Amino acid sequence: MANEVEASKITEALHELEVQTIWNLPEIGPFDFSISNAVIYMWVSALVVFVFFFVIARRLRKQPDALQTAGEVLLNLGTGHLTGQIGEKGKKYYYLVLTIFVYILFTNLIGLIPKPVALRPYTPTTNINVTFGMAFVVFVVVQYQGFKRHGVRGYIGSWLSPPGVPKAMALPLNLIFFVVHLMGEFFKPLSLAIRLFGNTIAGHLIILVMLGLVLEYQNYLIAIPPLAFVVAMNGFEIFVALLQAYIFSLLAVIYIESAIYAGH
Amino acid sequence: MDPQTAARLAAGIGIGLATIGPGIGIGYLTGRTTDAIARQPEAVGDIRTTMIIGVALAEALTLYAFVIAILLAVS
Repeated sequence: MANEVEASKITEALHELEVQTIWNLPEIGPFDFSISNAVIYMWVSALVVFVFFFVIARRLRKQPDALQTAGEVLLNLGTGHLTGQIGEKGKKYYYLVLTIFVYILFTNLIGLIPKPVALRPYTPTTNINVTFGMAFVVFVVVQYQGFKRHGVRGYIGSWLSPPGVPKAMALPLNLIFFVVHLMGEFFKPLSLAIRLFGNTIAGHLIILVMLGLVLEYQNYLIAIPPLAFVVAMNGFEIFVALLQAYIFSLLAVIYIESAIYAGH
Repeated sequence: MDPQTAARLAAGIGIGLATIGPGIGIGYLTGRTTDAIARQPEAVGDIRTTMIIGVALAEALTLYAFVIAILLAVS
């Protein structure tokens, strides 16, 4: 078969997209608690986020230096720009949104650093399970706020058609609106997950396949265009990392806001 | 043509077709953004932010097709 023959240097270069188990723990029901390199790199990004803000909070000065300014910019982003839509009502979600933003940003940026194969590098956001977990958190928050603030009747009432519809057309229109809105409620967090996953894995895949091509045809002359392209692509990936973190947290804020102020 | 080959062919054709729509959309969006900036240069910050949000949302549509294409190509 053709696919066994061409399992060559190109697929070998894709080691960065492969989850490898490091410490095999037993499975409890449907959950597998083994420690893989995906888990370890998620811990690494969480640790980096924690150390970053902890160090900044420890050395607050009257004249902010570069590190403190970076922390202040992120904090202003989280409590001002991003959450400007929720206002005071959603105040307890300011830091959730900021955490999501900073975590996605740092995870993607750490994933762009070239690491040797022995460290089994892996970017957690290239795994749909990780991004879906974050989107699931947003989904739970949205539904919880919706049902808590407006009650079951009020919240589902906001999914029906707007008032001022003639009696005869009320039932089919209500049904259509309800079904469309229900699908939308499930699809919006899923789209958050797929957007982040797709952007990250597309960038990494392009870079790794180009590097695999260089490894395959080991020739100095052929290697120049792919390497120039890979350098440019890495730069673009840095921009995409920032953008996707911003878009994920902004859309999360918009969804939370639409649940808090449902139908107004 | 066995299903394996058909799935891979579908993945290739699908991802190719999927870049048409968002490509047109993002191009149109960027054109209108430059019009808006030319009309009112002091609102550049807001206009640029709105454009970035629009580009990310349009790009997501290509990525839905990309994910389906990957699912088709590896199974």
